[in-house]
Amino acid sequence: MTLLLAALLPALAPGPADAEAVTLPVPKVEYRINEATASRSPWIDSNGWRLLRAPANRYYYDVPPANVAIAAAEAFAYAAKAEIHTDVSGAAIFNRMLEFLHGVPEPGELPILANIGVIDDGSPQTGELLNLLSRRNLLYRIVPAPDPHLDLNIRLGSQEYPKSEAANPSQLAQKIRAELTDEKRLLRVYGSEVVIARLVGNAGRVRIHLLNYANRPVTGLHVRVLGAYANWQVAAYDKPGLKLEDFTTADGATEFTVPEMSTYAVIDLSRAR
Amino acid sequence: MHRRDFLQLATVAGACAATPTDLPKYKVVSRFTPSPNPGMPGPFPGKAVRVHSEKSVDDANHRIDAPTVKEMLSRGMCSLTGAKKEQEAWAHFFDAKDVVGIKVNCSGAPKIFSAREVVGGIVDNLIAIGIPAGNIHLYERFPDQLTSVRYDRYLPAGVNIFAAEITRGSVASYDPNTYVETNFFGEEDTRSNMIRLVTERFTKIINVPNMKDHGAAGVTGCLKNIAYGSFSNVARSHNREKTNTLSFIGTLADVEPLRSRTVLQIMDGLRGVWHGGPFSENPDFRFYPKTIVFGTDPVAIDRLLLDVIENKRKAEGAISIWDRSMANIKPGVLDKRYGSFIREPGHIEFASKLGLGVYDINRIAVTGIEV
Repeated sequence: MTLLLAALLPALAPGPADAEAVTLPVPKVEYRINEATASRSPWIDSNGWRLLRAPANRYYYDVPPANVAIAAAEAFAYAAKAEIHTDVSGAAIFNRMLEFLHGVPEPGELPILANIGVIDDGSPQTGELLNLLSRRNLLYRIVPAPDPHLDLNIRLGSQEYPKSEAANPSQLAQKIRAELTDEKRLLRVYGSEVVIARLVGNAGRVRIHLLNYANRPVTGLHVRVLGAYANWQVAAYDKPGLKLEDFTTADGATEFTVPEMSTYAVIDLSRAR
Repeated sequence: MHRRDFLQLATVAGACAATPTDLPKYKVVSRFTPSPNPGMPGPFPGKAVRVHSEKSVDDANHRIDAPTVKEMLSRGMCSLTGAKKEQEAWAHFFDAKDVVGIKVNCSGAPKIFSAREVVGGIVDNLIAIGIPAGNIHLYERFPDQLTSVRYDRYLPAGVNIFAAEITRGSVASYDPNTYVETNFFGEEDTRSNMIRLVTERFTKIINVPNMKDHGAAGVTGCLKNIAYGSFSNVARSHNREKTNTLSFIGTLADVEPLRSRTVLQIMDGLRGVWHGGPFSENPDFRFYPKTIVFGTDPVAIDRLLLDVIENKRKAEGAISIWDRSMANIKPGVLDKRYGSFIREPGHIEFASKLGLGVYDINRIAVTGIEV
């Protein structure tokens, strides 16, 4: 069974994927508990960086029922055109997610908010860097040339970021994080290693997409967003009526707790009272 | 919100093994102000009462003798406080309005843990001075370890038994506004938050650690139990052979309101672990000091523990807890000749520099009691 996600509101579509569609890996978490301490963090297979890299493409997911919800949410969060292939039980899950996505308030035109600009040469090395930046919630935009409005601009092969450093993308991501500093980061996520965030917004309001790649709920997720916001609104898949907790603004930032989320939550913050 | 940057830790490091540049930069965030007389080191700095009884643990089956433990508790508390009666001794620290947290240690469960007889005796004494059972809370971080001990079978009805992480790693039961932030090894989550019960509910805390070796910290006693047992996301302080326990343990123990509310230390040394700690997988590494140590100064008690563990290890032919040779690091190998990390027993002296207690052995007064 094949399901088609339109740009914003997904729709069911029977039949196989379009031949021109780009096939994506199954979005999921791989736990590596038997490995050494240094690498015991779960590995997240996410596609956000691919969707950002080529937003005009059509994408194709072939996923088991357990991964249907995150695939649909991921495509929606990144406003991607995507087909999702699954079985009958997966279709039921898709329909539930679809119903939720229908109810997410229309945000209007909100640009990507980022600390980092990446000049993408299309190479696998830059792709892996984008992947690791995404996994670590180091927010970036793909830019054609350095953007002076961003905190940091990165072009692999430059003097500051030689291609040799791409051999260890994890270390390179750490270098970028250190240069940016955590204090400047527009968004931080505490209490989970399996949630990836996307931030869009303008001067008055922001939308935070939270994607949980694990197949179990995350409880007590804490989020910090730069900027003082007074109002919040939340829509969470499988958690109707969810309310944010511990909502505070201090030191130029807004913090709150998402008490429990399953696969996907959308949080809108606005400044005006 | 009160914030302190621990840049001054560089000066604290003076007499400790690490150089100032090795020390992480800590940001402590807490809305709580210190009590004028914080629980640590409390009214008895540099003082410890060590109660030993040969009959407290059966040599044949290693079972604990409850009546003997009851007497040890009574004698220890009276000696510590100078009270003539047991009830008077407990009333020195608590009154009927208190909500009391008891920080047990279950990381060696199901074999080594804060003994049910010790914890049960503490609870009985709290109830005897008028504290309702519902205002007494045993707490630990991980439910699998805690439930394996079955404290519920040994405690009066109504006493609360609480594990912070029903799902391992969840921070739902931690206070988002009370934390220590630092980046040790590039981990993404850089905060360790205090358990909400500590900040929102408890008025007093009793710390009940064991006597154990610890592969990272050197030993785990009062400081390690109250610090790593009251905060989230602390395992991130270890990576490969390196551990930041040297400075992290004291830093966490020093955070308010934990420091002010932890008013009593009762170290359960009836059973112990001299290698492989904090876990107790190999029975060959268990030993039986048959001792309970009382005090309010966690540094002084832990300073005594250093000698207990080091002397036992020496007697058994194990490497010293002070050994820093990379040749003796073999992660995951449970062998007394090796360790998994370069141990940091200096964390106790480090904590003393933060004002948590007396480290100088010549300034620690030990009262010995034989039951």
